[in-house]
Amino acid sequence: MKTRNVGSRIFILLALLYLYVPIVVLIVMGFNESRYNSLPFTFSLRWYQDLFQDAALLEATRNSLLIALITGVACMILGTLFILGHKALQNKSKQLVRSFVMMPMSIPWLILGLSLLLMIRAVGLEKNLFFVIAGHIVISLPYTLLVLEARVQSMDQSLEDMSASLGANPWTTFWRVTFPAIVPAVVAGGFLSFMISFDNFPISYFLMPSGISTLPIEIQSSIKFGFTPEINAISTVIIGVSLLCLAVVGLIMGRTLMNMIGGTKKNV
Amino acid sequence: MSRIGAAALSLVMLLGLCACGGTTDEGTANAGGEGEKTKLYVVNWKDYGSDDQELIAAFEEEYNCEIVNSYMESEEQLLTSLKTASEGEIDVCLPNCTILPAAIEAGLLMEIDPTQMENFSSLYERFQTQKECFGEDGKMYAVPFVWGSTAIAYNTELMDAAPSSMADLFDEQYAGKVTIRDDYNDAIMAAAIVLGQDPTAPNDLDAIRDLLIQQKSLNRTYWQTGDEFSKLFAGGQIEFGMMWSGQAASMKQEGEPIGFVVPEDGAIGWVDNWAIASGSQNKELALAFINYMISKDVQYAWAAKGGPAPANQEAAESIDPEYAASCGMDEASLNRLYFMAYQDDETKAEWAELWTEVKAS
Amino acid sequence: MEHKKRRLLTLPSVCWLLIFTVLPLLIMLFYSFQSDSGAGFTIENYIHFFSKATYLKLTWRTILSALLVTFFSLLISYPLAYILAKRLRGARALILVLIIIPFFTNQLVRVYSWLIFLQDGGVLNRFLAAIGISPGDSLGILYTQAAVIIALVHAYFPYMVITIYMALERMDNSMLEASYILGATRLTTFRRVIFPVSMPGVVSGILIVFVPCLGSFVEPRILGGTNGTLIGTVIEDQFTELYGWGFGSSIAFLLLALVILSMLVINWWGRRYEE
Repeated sequence: MKTRNVGSRIFILLALLYLYVPIVVLIVMGFNESRYNSLPFTFSLRWYQDLFQDAALLEATRNSLLIALITGVACMILGTLFILGHKALQNKSKQLVRSFVMMPMSIPWLILGLSLLLMIRAVGLEKNLFFVIAGHIVISLPYTLLVLEARVQSMDQSLEDMSASLGANPWTTFWRVTFPAIVPAVVAGGFLSFMISFDNFPISYFLMPSGISTLPIEIQSSIKFGFTPEINAISTVIIGVSLLCLAVVGLIMGRTLMNMIGGTKKNV
Repeated sequence: MSRIGAAALSLVMLLGLCACGGTTDEGTANAGGEGEKTKLYVVNWKDYGSDDQELIAAFEEEYNCEIVNSYMESEEQLLTSLKTASEGEIDVCLPNCTILPAAIEAGLLMEIDPTQMENFSSLYERFQTQKECFGEDGKMYAVPFVWGSTAIAYNTELMDAAPSSMADLFDEQYAGKVTIRDDYNDAIMAAAIVLGQDPTAPNDLDAIRDLLIQQKSLNRTYWQTGDEFSKLFAGGQIEFGMMWSGQAASMKQEGEPIGFVVPEDGAIGWVDNWAIASGSQNKELALAFINYMISKDVQYAWAAKGGPAPANQEAAESIDPEYAASCGMDEASLNRLYFMAYQDDETKAEWAELWTEVKAS
Repeated sequence: MEHKKRRLLTLPSVCWLLIFTVLPLLIMLFYSFQSDSGAGFTIENYIHFFSKATYLKLTWRTILSALLVTFFSLLISYPLAYILAKRLRGARALILVLIIIPFFTNQLVRVYSWLIFLQDGGVLNRFLAAIGISPGDSLGILYTQAAVIIALVHAYFPYMVITIYMALERMDNSMLEASYILGATRLTTFRRVIFPVSMPGVVSGILIVFVPCLGSFVEPRILGGTNGTLIGTVIEDQFTELYGWGFGSSIAFLLLALVILSMLVINWWGRRYEE
């Protein structure tokens, strides 16, 4: 048992190493003097100074966060509703409806973005943020559902049945039995869609009204002539802020939140 | 799962708070400002002059307006944007000669009266009469802004002398040390120069295809965006390769050991032109903006910052001749260029397919 | 009765997709039967695709690359998800967070980092030279398919870890104990108990990796050298460079058909295993 755990740890370490190699490179290059990331390394804070004067890049980052947040919340709501309704469907239609909502996963984003643009024009509307977010929801929702589905499929149906047979109304069953069981998955799903939206370029690009930008749009338009390590700098700041938030959350509110959500499973 | 769930939820909420806080701040800042400024919507490349605060500050002040930039990804995509834009969404844009005739023919651009622009007369003669700027009705629809070349950049530390011919890019002895651009237009025009065909209207596409397939294995890789090239170059992965004059100049200013040459047998030239979208609601302001952007002062200032070559002759002549020659901005280089011409959709599709075949080979 | 009402809960999602996916795609399908030269309804776009060896070759190259990426992702993700779900109790929240954090960086920026890491004379090359296992000046990884696969696996495997983990985590440990008590070997337990339970997660994970790989074009183009062109590049070019919306739409729909086909196969395989 002991040796198996050592093996496990080594495997995890290797996987994390693989995962973090490019991240470390990008952080280090943000502190490198060279504009073209060339070696040898010379320490410099030049790109951070530039970054904090670059209002456009900062604003784009804020827009990205906001759009991703709305997308994440919307996917959590739509996803939860869907997964609950989906359980009640009969076999045939169940499979059909599922394939239907998973469809956007199988369409290249570039094409989804372009086809949405075509549609907006066809009905004679203006590009606006609503359509950007609508597009983001379309591409993120299936991912949210995948996470939810994995959870729901494994959920013990007998619990719900038991609750019902004990005379609980459907609403009570939902709040007391179903919902607590799926909350972690709902949150994880919303989080996944947040990340997908945050990093999305093609949809935003085709649907964004002029004058508004997101971080991926800024980055993509910089590559015509070369983006500066300012981009590395902002990526580093984003990673830093997320880590900090996680640490703070873990320290201060960790226990309360965990008890709130953790009550759903005995063996955590 | 619950712990990660909790952590993730809180993270999302916190990030959200930061984001909302930021937005409110800005909202109030804007509200406190002076009255409504006119907005001029410009579609341009990123970092291409109209988004340079130093350059446009004087204009914004004089006309009490705000330049709102959005960025293009490629020429064809600009054409798409123009076609799908709604009224007032785009005022000014910067098409090059390869799409101008198509844009004019489709009625996407507004006529421009050169007599209303005092700086027009100081453009090079050839740019005042550039045929792509005129529609079939003989009216003018665009004004040349800057020009440049797609020629050869080389590493001055690795090479003793500049490559003298486009054919060097196709020479076996440099296998693994060169790069050409992943772009059907550039690839085909370069091959046509080497084969002695007319680069703007090559007649033997099969020969071009064969040559490019032969050349494929010589490349370290193909590059597509300027950024890819700069990293290839700075990382010492190549000795020389096809490159834009403008970027070679700015890399040089960053201290890279880069030389640029328009070889004896010629290279590819391009011209970027200002035009006014037919849906513009601010024609007067747009015209004033274009006039401003082609003025001697702006053109000189931008070229000195590492921008491409100015179309304004007076501005061009005030640039240090040595600097101009070193980044292919001089008149001698200008005269060796084959300027990219407009190709109809069918030809474009044919060229693109040829290039896809090369890449799939 | 109650069930009927409950089904209505699926409506918001379904309607959303009808308006923002199906409708736009129908408009695009219409385009795929339009000639780019403006001649009205035609199937020439589809004929053109199949008449050229080039496009079929690129499609095959794309499928192959997506399969390889999926395979390697599974190789990393399954053990990782298993260890997280069953072995490490204390640290798993931390590790899951660590797996997610890299995704706060832009995809393109990560691709560039791989470029700098893998290139000849780059970070990895210098590191290997410094510890004495130097392959000389040229590492020879960048601008090959290996580089593309390294970057694509990196980009997608964490999604797979999450889906498999979700499936494994809910598995009741008493099932495992029962299996061992009944004398099953570890391999048998895995094959008969663990793997079937994790199947929905595996299927989701494969889809979540395989499908975007079919449409990927950034990683192959930047890291794959002169052979980095995939079918996604062709579609992108048709729309952004050539204004060939008809031809581009038709390739897109053929790709879509391929995707649907593979989804059917994966789903069928997954369900067969579960039974």
